[in-house]
Amino acid sequence: MTHPSFEAQLDAYLDGELAAVDARELETHLAQCPQCAQFRDGRLELRAAITAHVPAFQAPTALRDRVRAAVGAAARARAPQRFPVRGVWRPLALAASLAVVAVGSWRLALQRAAGETLADDVLSSHIRSLMPSHLTDVPSSDQHTVKPWFNGRLDFSPLVYDFAGRGYPLIGGRLDYVGGRSVAALVYGRRQHLINVFLWPAARGPGIVPSTRTRQGYHLLHWATADYTYWVVSDLGLPELGDFAGLLRQADSAAGAPK
Amino acid sequence: MESSELARFEAVVLPHLDAAYTLARYLTRNEHDAEDVVQDASLRALKYFDGFRGEEGTSARAWLLAIVRNTAFSSRRRQRPDAVVLEFDEAQHSGAVADEHPEAALLRSAAKESLGHALDRLAPEFREVIVLRELEGLSYKEISDVAGVPVGTVMSRLSRARARLQQALRQEEEG
Repeated sequence: MTHPSFEAQLDAYLDGELAAVDARELETHLAQCPQCAQFRDGRLELRAAITAHVPAFQAPTALRDRVRAAVGAAARARAPQRFPVRGVWRPLALAASLAVVAVGSWRLALQRAAGETLADDVLSSHIRSLMPSHLTDVPSSDQHTVKPWFNGRLDFSPLVYDFAGRGYPLIGGRLDYVGGRSVAALVYGRRQHLINVFLWPAARGPGIVPSTRTRQGYHLLHWATADYTYWVVSDLGLPELGDFAGLLRQADSAAGAPK
Repeated sequence: MESSELARFEAVVLPHLDAAYTLARYLTRNEHDAEDVVQDASLRALKYFDGFRGEEGTSARAWLLAIVRNTAFSSRRRQRPDAVVLEFDEAQHSGAVADEHPEAALLRSAAKESLGHALDRLAPEFREVIVLRELEGLSYKEISDVAGVPVGTVMSRLSRARARLQQALRQEEEG
């Protein structure tokens, strides 16, 4: 028996947008109800047909150039009004902020500044990885291919999981350089979005609770276990990225994080 | 605007130009209008870029697509008040199927054409959720931000839009 609201539920289920509890309930129902199963098959056919016959387009090169030129011209036109005396003010502003650091709790401020520098580093690596042929050194969805690849390339063996069953397939791994050391970068996908997971052995300590940052439209999640420091970056929405980080943390603690 | 700020804008926005163009193509159903919309939207994006900086939970792609969407809708209202005119561009939906068996090619282009037709015939608010979901890969929450409607509305629009596309596909197979 299918009714409109149920159909929308089924669509949300197929889109991976249904809460886990509802999804389980629906799966149980699908197993028993041929009509709903038929509805689902129809939707899967439609999805395949859309993928095959409804193309995404590439912006023509001429348009790309036109946009770049127009944006550049508009930005230049705005420059004089917006930063009239920047030559004078910027050093002053810098001096002022340094003074604040000196007067305030400088230790904390410096620690935070280090964290922000690291965040900048991580974000730069993420953006660089999105450029053509920078994404992976070892493109594989098989965790047993990706993990051994790091042997001899790093002084630790990163934990590699595949969350394809949860909608975050493993795409590959890469060697990267962040915060003055070689780190493992693992790449996961979510629809058209890419997620970079950077990890390296943590400094001894109790771990760091998860925190989030948003920069240039990208979200950064950071935490540390007793063994590893993690940074997760993507343009994926924060709720889904949080969901992904949860899977990672869960898998990590289940593995007992062996070195 | 400082040059570093311009560089930041280019790094954040230009990677999503294909996505912007794809959405504009389907909303305007026309190459030239799509190009104009993308250019206008990019300039608008530049203007609002300061406001984008700290917004939590919004991806750059969804942010740009929202601007493209609003630009497309407002330019359409300006140009043709009776926006439902169907201009079907033959070239747009009959792509190259040259090296195929003629019969297979015929079947394939039939399915392609009927689906393209059906999508073009959908009301804009249904067409946009299909494009945002199936081609741009946005989450329901992001689509709700882009289209400015609650998530529940996104859900029901998607479902109804799919039902219509499926109907079109089925008719093609039968007829």
